[in-house]
Amino acid sequence: MAAFDVNKAFAMKILPARLVLLIALALPTAAAAQRGGDAVYIEDRFNQLQQLLTNLTGQLEQLQNRNAKLQQQMEKMQADYEYRIEQLEKGGAARPGGAAPRPPAQAAAPVPTPAAGPANADQLYDEAIKKLQEGDYAAAERGFKTFIQRSPQSKLAGNAQYWLGETYYARRDYKNALTAFAEGYKVYKTSPKGPDNLLKLGITMSVLGRKPDACAVFARFNQDYPRATDLQKRRIEQERQKNGCG
Amino acid sequence: MSMIKALSALAAMFLIAACSSNNDTQTASAATTSVTPGSVGDFRQNVGDRVFFDTDSSTVREDGRQTLNRQAEWLKKYGNYQITIEGHCDERGTREYNLALGERRANAARQYLIAQGIPAARLKTVSYGKERPDPVGSDEAAWARNRRAVTALE
Amino acid sequence: MMLPRRTTLLGGVALATAGIASSARAQLTIDMTRPSFEPVPIAIVDFKGDSVGAQMAGVIRNNLQNSGLFRVIPSSAYIQKDVDATTPPRFPDWRSVGAAGLVVGQVTSVGGSIKVDFRLWDVVTSQQATGLSFTSQPNNWRRLSHIISDAIYKRVTGEEGYFDTRIAYVSETGPGNNRTKRIAVMDQDGANNRYLTDGKTIALTPRFSPTLQEIVYMAYGENNGPPRVYLQNVDSGRRELLGNFPGMSFAPRFSPDGTKVVMSIAENGRTNLYEMDVRGRQLRRLTNSPAIDTSPCFSADGSQIVFNSDRGGAQQLYVMSAGGGGERRISFGDGRYATPVWSPRGDFIAFTKIGSGGFGIGVMRSDGSGERMLASGFLVEGPTWAPNGRVLMFFRQQPSSGGRVGSASLHQIDITGRFERQVPTPTDASDPAWSPLIPQ
Repeated sequence: MAAFDVNKAFAMKILPARLVLLIALALPTAAAAQRGGDAVYIEDRFNQLQQLLTNLTGQLEQLQNRNAKLQQQMEKMQADYEYRIEQLEKGGAARPGGAAPRPPAQAAAPVPTPAAGPANADQLYDEAIKKLQEGDYAAAERGFKTFIQRSPQSKLAGNAQYWLGETYYARRDYKNALTAFAEGYKVYKTSPKGPDNLLKLGITMSVLGRKPDACAVFARFNQDYPRATDLQKRRIEQERQKNGCG
Repeated sequence: MSMIKALSALAAMFLIAACSSNNDTQTASAATTSVTPGSVGDFRQNVGDRVFFDTDSSTVREDGRQTLNRQAEWLKKYGNYQITIEGHCDERGTREYNLALGERRANAARQYLIAQGIPAARLKTVSYGKERPDPVGSDEAAWARNRRAVTALE
Repeated sequence: MMLPRRTTLLGGVALATAGIASSARAQLTIDMTRPSFEPVPIAIVDFKGDSVGAQMAGVIRNNLQNSGLFRVIPSSAYIQKDVDATTPPRFPDWRSVGAAGLVVGQVTSVGGSIKVDFRLWDVVTSQQATGLSFTSQPNNWRRLSHIISDAIYKRVTGEEGYFDTRIAYVSETGPGNNRTKRIAVMDQDGANNRYLTDGKTIALTPRFSPTLQEIVYMAYGENNGPPRVYLQNVDSGRRELLGNFPGMSFAPRFSPDGTKVVMSIAENGRTNLYEMDVRGRQLRRLTNSPAIDTSPCFSADGSQIVFNSDRGGAQQLYVMSAGGGGERRISFGDGRYATPVWSPRGDFIAFTKIGSGGFGIGVMRSDGSGERMLASGFLVEGPTWAPNGRVLMFFRQQPSSGGRVGSASLHQIDITGRFERQVPTPTDASDPAWSPLIPQ
């Protein structure tokens, strides 16, 4: 989940540096123009600036890409931590009546998984989680969709709906992510993933530029989930501040 | 302040790089033969109708500038010609991109001639991308001669 | 030979397809996505009733064999020689020659038309797998053969076929320094080749409209005239200039709905992307960079455009929304990336990659992940998708030597990098463009 916007922070740092470079290069050019009015010289300088700008653009793109990848990794890790904390808070107890969902990233801690339950549906769910971990979001999307379709009453259906949203979010398909999270809130409000789902619904609205809606969503949090974890409450507060919610 | 220094050094490096990659191209201007002064043959033989570029570059090199300087002088003297600068590329690029790169090269030569005082209205450009190699060949030497802008007169 | 539009090609209806127990399907089906599989052994008997029947079977055999997914059993191996289209064959005879599928057909003259019935028998289950019946003009027999090939391909692979399609390409003749380059169109299997331009000026990069009735391409004007984009009707040959701009216009491509053409216009050393409304001829600028933005291609749903640009130094691939804006780089590997084309299925983007060692053709997911190289060589370029998004065509150019230009040829390969095959053309050929399925 986007705790902070790495790209934005990065851009704010790099842009002034770029500006200084350009001005620095432009200064001797202006001087030369005054000195001799040499059109060739100006053309040269212009080309050099252009070249420099091109190189910077290329570097910026590569750094942005690296950042986006790191951010994705961070989000995965964060989700992993949250999951583990959630497990710890529950004292490591198994959920009644079904397999516990696997963590979204490789967890070192053993996760208790009772053998009972409808193996087929659970396998489907586990398979989709695995695809999500592997970054094969399209396959994960299909898996979660099938799972929800087949087992809408399952205890894991709310989780599946949440992770379905995540498959879109990870691919920056925010419109579908929004639909999925909204559906999650509507249908599986009381699911274990309910608080995370609502948080992500707000974040997605914010990404889509719908800040007032995002704030309205965050505002519902305490009312809907009074027993949310402290971590979740802190995240909501962070997001509220980030979006300037009143 | 130190940044400006570093940048001047950088700019100097640009120029050095531009100078160091050029010595295959001087068109013979000494071997004057019996062509009519002011004819297309005169232009080609005694002035040099083409300049060459580095791989993927459209910067006019030092050797090319000398050729273009001579072209500009000649073209000022013989003002009756309309000029089309043809941009070309070697074959190691994709077709569409090379069309654009050829245009960029032709344009670089054109801008240089304009800066030397040739009226912009006399100067047209056309790109042939990698469609008209001269010479035909797939080695470094052929590629170097294909990355070119040719000043054609009519 | 062009088909008159609205021909009663599918005058008939699909014959009843027998229900098949899914457990017994194994051998007449193939999963193309699996890394390895055995081609399906299939026997295609000359169609009965008319001399054209043998030619039809020949076209179908050629299509299926060339796909790499089928192994056509030679007719010399057949045990049952007298099989016809209406009565079930002697299945044990076909099992013993190793066939999983058997194709039979019957051609009947009806007035001035021909009626063609074909069946695909599942030899393993002794059931009919699929069957179709058509009525058409006799000179449509090739098309009918392609449509039948598509039906077999679909039944066996579960994917749409691509045999009833055409290829537009650049025909190359003459010496290397003054090569004649004309636009040509042929059937996917090389038949019915014909030329759409006269070769007086260089013509390049043909692309089909979604209805196949028109192509857009770039051609130079007469007497050193600058390159411009032309729109040409394939049947009538009538051509028109698609906008007359001060700078060179090139790299055109239709939108999936055919209402727009996206292209590059170069001016003063900058090359940007523009979109032209085909009907109203309104021009709209889509990018505004000091760099070279070219080789644009719409996504299958028309909402996005992928293109290559050197704004960051070397050529890389970028995706933006179809109306312009939101430009985002998607290629980050070593080397230069060019000529991106979006799969008709929307899942992959194919591209040309230029590295230190030469050229390659590859595919990546549309977000830039999962890059995979399929073919490489001294110069390979310009991938184009078959309408089913499973097969690509591109061109190979051999190195020139001794002043002689290296030959150029079209090649086909499947998206897992298997079954590369040269596509026969009457002359040297480059810049292939694969059409959508011909509307029936």
